[in-house]
Amino acid sequence: MKKNMYLKSVIMLSMFCFLSLSVAEARIKLVALPKRADTIIRLDNPQFTLIEEERVLTLQQGLNKVDFSWNGVSIDPDSIRIDILSHSDQVTLLNVSYPPNENALVWEISSAGAREEKIRVSYLLSNIDRLITYKSVADKAETQVNFKSHLILRNFSGEDFANAKVLLDYGESFEEGIRHEETKQLLFLKAGTVPIEKVWQWDSKKQIWDPEEVDQNVGIPVHYRITNTTDSNLGQNALWNGKMRVFQLDGHGSTILLGEDAVDLTPVGEDMEVYIGDSRDLVVTQRKMVDKQTNIRRNTSGRVVLYDNEEQVTAKIENFKDTNAKLKMVQHIPGEWDMHSCNFEYKKENANTIEFEIDVPAQGKAELVMHYFRRNIRN
Amino acid sequence: MKVKLFFLVFLLVPGVSLAKVDLVTLPQRDHVQLTIYNSADLTLIKESRSLTLKEGFNDLQFSWVNTLIDPTSLEMLPLANADQIDVQSLTYPPLLKNVGLWHIRSSVSGQVPFEISYLTSGLSWRAFYLGTLDPDEQEMRLQGFVRVQNNSGEDYEKAQVRLIVGTVHVIDQISFLANRQHPYGSPGIINFEREHWGGGEDYDADALDMKDAIDETFYALADAESFREEGEMRTPKKIIKEGLSEYFLYTIEGRETVPNGWAKRMPSFDVEKIPVVNLYKYEEERYGSQVVRFLSFKNDEDHQLGETPIPGGMLKVFRQVDQEKHLSYEGQSGFKYIPVDEEVELNMGGVQNVIVEPTLMDYQSANYMFDRYGNIIGWDEIREYKIKLKNTRPIPVKVEIKRNIHNSKWAIQNQGDVGTYEKIDADTVQYTIHLTERENKEIVYALTTFHGRRADYQ
Repeated sequence: MKKNMYLKSVIMLSMFCFLSLSVAEARIKLVALPKRADTIIRLDNPQFTLIEEERVLTLQQGLNKVDFSWNGVSIDPDSIRIDILSHSDQVTLLNVSYPPNENALVWEISSAGAREEKIRVSYLLSNIDRLITYKSVADKAETQVNFKSHLILRNFSGEDFANAKVLLDYGESFEEGIRHEETKQLLFLKAGTVPIEKVWQWDSKKQIWDPEEVDQNVGIPVHYRITNTTDSNLGQNALWNGKMRVFQLDGHGSTILLGEDAVDLTPVGEDMEVYIGDSRDLVVTQRKMVDKQTNIRRNTSGRVVLYDNEEQVTAKIENFKDTNAKLKMVQHIPGEWDMHSCNFEYKKENANTIEFEIDVPAQGKAELVMHYFRRNIRN
Repeated sequence: MKVKLFFLVFLLVPGVSLAKVDLVTLPQRDHVQLTIYNSADLTLIKESRSLTLKEGFNDLQFSWVNTLIDPTSLEMLPLANADQIDVQSLTYPPLLKNVGLWHIRSSVSGQVPFEISYLTSGLSWRAFYLGTLDPDEQEMRLQGFVRVQNNSGEDYEKAQVRLIVGTVHVIDQISFLANRQHPYGSPGIINFEREHWGGGEDYDADALDMKDAIDETFYALADAESFREEGEMRTPKKIIKEGLSEYFLYTIEGRETVPNGWAKRMPSFDVEKIPVVNLYKYEEERYGSQVVRFLSFKNDEDHQLGETPIPGGMLKVFRQVDQEKHLSYEGQSGFKYIPVDEEVELNMGGVQNVIVEPTLMDYQSANYMFDRYGNIIGWDEIREYKIKLKNTRPIPVKVEIKRNIHNSKWAIQNQGDVGTYEKIDADTVQYTIHLTERENKEIVYALTTFHGRRADYQ
């Protein structure tokens, strides 16, 4: 494998001194191979990883040519930039040349004097990225979790970083080295105790209406709701999307895995909903008890042109658990409608979706009855 | 492999056959000028060489093996004693590829400067930009570059490099003309390849229009490159920009050497502190459900620009994150040619940190009309929308939300005090909302659309 030839740094920065201004042939001697000093791996952009590395160039007075070449790594050449740090008024980048069939470029740098110059080279490097994972351990009562988040640094770029500062768009930075083909897990958010709300959710579009009609158990999805606010010991920054694993203390000094979910990016103030699994101890049976046309309007040929539809839906909720449960129930009513009567309060999420939060006592039942008219249905 | 374009001068004694020519001199190029287009694979090369002529007839052989020169574009002009030197013909000898023979009649003898011009493919240039935003993203440093790539097969040393910004009309690809077996094709054979004879002049015409200007500067620049003292501090070469016809001509100061296979990037401009607007757009029909980030500025004096158009190219945007000049990569955007005084919006791609969520909150129909047979002939539909806006960023942002109505007869009633709309066209409205750092807002409006005969009453 070609890669194995490059045991150390495969990104090379070398300096050539030019005795005269004549072209190509004038690459005379290697003056210095400056070592990489401070290196930053910046992972704030989910798609691109920016590397910043500082090097000290020993410049001669006049024209200097600095080669930057890479092998076995993928660098976007247009992303490479050089910033002159110590004497930006006396050291000037004149132009950049790109040799044929090489992963390299040559900076032509003019210096007013012979000096050591600190420069910073930045570039986008492929195949080095980060993942975010979350781990929560819930208490036995399922009222709070111990919440932490890890950064997973994956380096398959072809380049070894002996020591680098790893930065995300917030939080502490890490001083870490990472070698090629190495993956590192770093703890970067330890929120401690975070309150949760356990929510059962039944959606009339997603769940089966009548569990008696099917042979197997019908589960009701269970979520933990975590609010990204300071009250929850979070709320400093948005929480990135990533994989969450939820465990629970089992009361015997150990834990069990409750479930895992891919969570979305959660801005400050928003809820993160973690789906952990399905409950079989809550059963919903929904049926349509009334379904009939009213206010029928016909044309002169007797064809129905406009009518309303009267519907009544009942949903029976049974809780077989020995604790109270809060069921979030989502109902969908298509088209134009108005509610005639409903025995629970609801929140209209959009024109065709309403949501209930129904408390069901331990070992108890609740029944929702919605009586509504769908209006102005045209034939 | 280094390919050389070489120039041989033969002296011909009248009456003596071509086979007995003697090689007299191999003149070097004195000066070469490249005028590189980027809208077509086309470069105009003008080179000057001093030839030693004898009184009487002179034959000059010019060959261009392994290059991409269009033989139909070759031209030779004396730059002195023009009235005494007559370039009578250019012959492309049989069985020889990439060779031309000029037949010249001269009334003078001695050294005469000539200009040889031709078109070649394989040289190209593109504009490239680096943007560096301030930490608060209110201002951006914009650095423009031009990157010249030489894949022409020929090394051009110490050439004057000029770049054409604009769209040139050509009807034959130079690479096609360069690779043809016979310079002008051959008769009698059905040629399936597209050829245009008159067209050859088409692009020459533009080039020749500029000829007067070129001639004036030709010699002035030819020897202007003085050898600098080693160790002298240098600054990047300037690029002189001037308008010509429908084009902009960028002339890179001094001389450049671009060997075959190499590319070279040179700074074109560097402007600090261009005020930029962080603009976020939402339009379902165009961008789907995501918010797209734009950086917007104007190519005018207020934005430290506006002297010349900005050629289209790729912009990579970084943000300075601290006083130590550390950078964060924000994204990239390609943009089209930006004329002077034109506003540019750079599409930086979809974002997650500014959120726009429109929701249809209510739907009603009303005002049904019936014909005398009782059939529905008209009605209204009333939809209430709520648009949630969230700026999770620590900087203020501007959000533009376009809503397409899909119906030509409509009325909007705004509810609440956030956002008034602006009518963009018959069935599109736009809300423009400014959000401060980490601010949330909500737009609520009721849209009534009129259908069937109800539309006739609006």
